[in-house]
Amino acid sequence: MKKNYELLEHTADIRIRIKGADLKDLFTNAAIAMFDIIAEKKTHIIDSKLQTKDVVVKQKADNIEELFINWLNELLSLSAVKGLIFEDFKISQINKNNLIALAKGVDVRHYKVNVEIKAATYHELKIENNGSGFVAQVIFDT
Amino acid sequence: MADIWQGPLEKIDDYRWRIPKSYKAGMRLPGIIYADERLLKDIRQDKAPEQVANVAFLPGIVKASLAMPDIHWGYGFPIGGVAATDIDDAGVISPGGVGFDINCGVRLLKTNFQYDEIKDKIRDLVYALFSDIPSGVGSKGDIRVSEREEREILVKGSRWAVEKGYGTDEDLECTEENGAMQGADPLAVSDRAYERGKAQSGTLGSGNHFLEVQVIDQIYSRDLCDEFGLTLGQITVMIHSGSRGFGYQICDDFTRGMIHCLNKYNINVPDRQLACAPFNSPEGKQYFAAMKCAANYAWNNRQCLMHLVRKTFEKVFGMSWQKMGMQLIYDVAHNIAKVERHIIDGKEKTLCIHRKGATRAFGPGHPALPDRYKKTGQPVIIPGDMGRNSYLLVGTQGAMEETFGSTCHGAGRLKSRAAATRSINLDTLLKDLESKGIIVKASGRGTIVEEAPQVYKDVNDVVSVVHNAGISKRVCRMKPLGVIKG
Repeated sequence: MKKNYELLEHTADIRIRIKGADLKDLFTNAAIAMFDIIAEKKTHIIDSKLQTKDVVVKQKADNIEELFINWLNELLSLSAVKGLIFEDFKISQINKNNLIALAKGVDVRHYKVNVEIKAATYHELKIENNGSGFVAQVIFDT
Repeated sequence: MADIWQGPLEKIDDYRWRIPKSYKAGMRLPGIIYADERLLKDIRQDKAPEQVANVAFLPGIVKASLAMPDIHWGYGFPIGGVAATDIDDAGVISPGGVGFDINCGVRLLKTNFQYDEIKDKIRDLVYALFSDIPSGVGSKGDIRVSEREEREILVKGSRWAVEKGYGTDEDLECTEENGAMQGADPLAVSDRAYERGKAQSGTLGSGNHFLEVQVIDQIYSRDLCDEFGLTLGQITVMIHSGSRGFGYQICDDFTRGMIHCLNKYNINVPDRQLACAPFNSPEGKQYFAAMKCAANYAWNNRQCLMHLVRKTFEKVFGMSWQKMGMQLIYDVAHNIAKVERHIIDGKEKTLCIHRKGATRAFGPGHPALPDRYKKTGQPVIIPGDMGRNSYLLVGTQGAMEETFGSTCHGAGRLKSRAAATRSINLDTLLKDLESKGIIVKASGRGTIVEEAPQVYKDVNDVVSVVHNAGISKRVCRMKPLGVIKG
């Protein structure tokens, strides 16, 4: 699958740039990118149908940046607690203060974990609407 | 590279450089970076100095925003930063000044073995350690605890493990804070943090965390080595780990909350990852009480890991760990906030010291040190990369006077993971390490490349600066023989 994000240089951690046609698209792509960095599906099961678990994610924040960071950190936290790698996201509601989504996860045993991301951070966080869509830049603590 | 830092660095002397307060409106004090000319070139390659300047915005900061020679670009605070705030003068505490991996730290234990006695068994030993010690991302341990026990761990720290038979009182004496900060409040911790931490006690984790079998390859102070019972060619073991998912969750929970404190307490910082609250506010107190829980969790974790190491040695060598002389030299935290009393401008003050990628380095005679180390000063353990060296240092009076009793914490990263993956071939790297007599075992192949020696600064250069600047003193140097990575 073609990567939907770009890796940027950062000495100690991982910095990426993500794009999206709208906020829903941007938040979905950021979550897909984060789990793509964390893990890859074990090769022998790529085509097989795996059981998925649905997890509802609800977040509130004062602004879009906080909502973005809260969304990613909530997914990291749920992933660790439930032992799931999330691979599909259906955001049913999003504005700059609220988000409701359904995250579909697969048991982590079916994945090869490459990197532990501790958290998404605010440092040099950018979320911009450039007229034709949204672009975000975020640094993950690894 | 676009991230090269062009700001002002005024030379104070060969090992100290100042970012003047005038560099940026909002800085309350200057920044001071400990480095020599050579390391300074690397330090300018990214935005770490900008972060040193940003930390100088924190309300209540005293003396200066300090950075050790292993400084590199973090997220908010620089890694390798030390910041002290006066808690009686509106000084703040910041979860970002501690980091997500609360009480990430390192411990060093010695053995009676000389390299020549066990050199043929090192491969077996490394394979046995790799198989017996849970490592890797999200790894779960054999030491399972109930919820009630987990709460006990948060208060008791390493003592919990010792009461279970995983160590001795002497281990506690040789651990910073005796393995538990007083005042940890399990009620300050979210249910999610409990859940995230539950299964990870006694696990190494991943990333830069490691377990190493080492040999002492250089002695710098014969007198100090005699005090510690160390000789050239002696085998040591080093453990580097932290509070795992438990600490990450606490940092996340409180950073979310403290962002609102910036408005509430009218605090101006240039980066939201520096979110903070006055130390004496309800939010500040609650974070500190929760942070202590994570710190205690991490000390207990390293105690459990050391127990597993001792058990594995017993299995491989067929004798008790006591007979093998596997005593803990010391355990230090290098991501933590502490309340300590220090002299500022001739007056003793109560300060909140943030050490983010920095190690406490109390000098001889400090009351926080156990009797056995009153004369030597606090042992300071500096892990390096898997191909070069690690160090045992001691704290000095110089550190007490200049850096709130603090020094560096490691080699410091030089190159990104992406750059490492692009430029380093795993097979070549492993052959190169093998030719130096270093065996590496890791859960993920990617980790070895991302943690290759060439992505780090040379720890010898870093230690040379802190030694020459007088903020710690070299005791001896170790070389890795076997490395277990997460």
